[in-house]
Amino acid sequence: MPLQGIANLLENLCDEVLRVKLCKVYQEIAMRIHLLSLAGLIFLAPGIIIGCSPDQTPGEPQAQQQSQPQEAAGTLQVRANGEERAREGLVSKDGWRITFDNLYANLADVTAYQSEPAFDPEQGGEIQAQEKVVVLDEVQTVDLAQSGDGQDSVLVAEASNVPAGQYNALSWRMVPATEGPAQGQTMVMSGTAEKEGRTINFVLNIDREFEYVCGEYVGDERKGIVQVGDTADLEATFHLDHLFGDGETSADDPINQGALGFEPLATLAQNGNLQISTSQLQSQSPQTYQQLQEILPSIGHVGEGHCREANTQTVG
Amino acid sequence: MNSQWKTIIPFVVISVFGASTKAIAHGVRMQARETQAIEVNAEYDNGEPMAEAQVTVYAPNDPATPWLEGTTDNNGNFVFAPDSSQSGNWSIQVRQAGHGSIVNIPVEGNQAQAGGNGTTEAESSVSGVANTRTNFTPLQTILMGATGVWGFIGTALFFMRGNKSNSELRRSESQR
Repeated sequence: MPLQGIANLLENLCDEVLRVKLCKVYQEIAMRIHLLSLAGLIFLAPGIIIGCSPDQTPGEPQAQQQSQPQEAAGTLQVRANGEERAREGLVSKDGWRITFDNLYANLADVTAYQSEPAFDPEQGGEIQAQEKVVVLDEVQTVDLAQSGDGQDSVLVAEASNVPAGQYNALSWRMVPATEGPAQGQTMVMSGTAEKEGRTINFVLNIDREFEYVCGEYVGDERKGIVQVGDTADLEATFHLDHLFGDGETSADDPINQGALGFEPLATLAQNGNLQISTSQLQSQSPQTYQQLQEILPSIGHVGEGHCREANTQTVG
Repeated sequence: MNSQWKTIIPFVVISVFGASTKAIAHGVRMQARETQAIEVNAEYDNGEPMAEAQVTVYAPNDPATPWLEGTTDNNGNFVFAPDSSQSGNWSIQVRQAGHGSIVNIPVEGNQAQAGGNGTTEAESSVSGVANTRTNFTPLQTILMGATGVWGFIGTALFFMRGNKSNSELRRSESQR
């Protein structure tokens, strides 16, 4: 340190100088320099310590806290649910009775979070994760038209030894399947639509990718609370009434105002059959394609709780 | 669905107890207490209130079990007084006809019980500084240790040098 060097130089001078008064002056200057150095070190040290600390801004997920063994306590399942509309059928806003043979959804990167504060997809911002658990890090195809293991919903994946607490946020991606019955598609809806003696067997292939970021599950019971040694679950819910509407509510109900219904698809059927992909729909009926594109980001939910589709920033 | 939530303070709850051990015609006893309350207002996207919607309140100590259940009024409002001895997030879920939302309201405070006629005064305090830096990285620990040691060594060297210089000075003076 330069100040220390000056102080040492002055003291050496003092050793060589024989005159007492001058030596005392040198000693006083050297002492002050030493004190100045010490004080500077004391004041600088806290600044260095604080400056070297890692940045911990509130908005950043702290995923590294996720897998401390002493916190491991329970099991967390994520299930998919198309509600009774997928399993038992529905009546569209334009009076088509639709039943599904299969309703494949291809989910990937399913992640649950303990967010503090709670994530609200309508308010914007990001999930502020205190804990983060990747429940599914690959791709899984589920059939929402089938009941799974005695429950209405279908198991997507589960993670064991997850930290206890309330998982109040969920995110997942939907990507085209690389294999299986939905190969090449994100969603496949196949079934029968009937209206006034007309029957249409349909297959609707959707290959567009989505990323849903959701808040807390809203429903009959509270979900996602993992307790020690216990199993909790979260639910990725798909609201088909956003797409087809609800024939049991009035035409001016908001859900029917925004829904596509089935009639625009029925007009494209030939000889009672319709097998169409989104790209074919784009060329055959651009208006229907555009409406479908606007609706699809809004079908992902967590029970009745809302999600934000990250690619379009649409809140469903 | 946009929901507007707000807390109102103070909120006065009046309890009326008409029954007594000795029945006196038209006798009424009243007790009043001042406390904190949470008012919830729920409405649909189009501004229509969620009238008579199902409300479920979850307390921080047992977030899986409903602490209170009720319905909103015709304007979509619901008011309740949380147990202020339970600090943490109070969750209020409002649902109606397949639409729903949940909101968390942090409540932190202690309720001071004041004797006399059942009156309770609520005191609320906000502990804004919840987490301070208590965990240090290894680099920080090493720097702190090194700083402390350096301080001791520097101080000791300074006084040693000062004594040495003085003694050498005295020696040189005596030689003269």
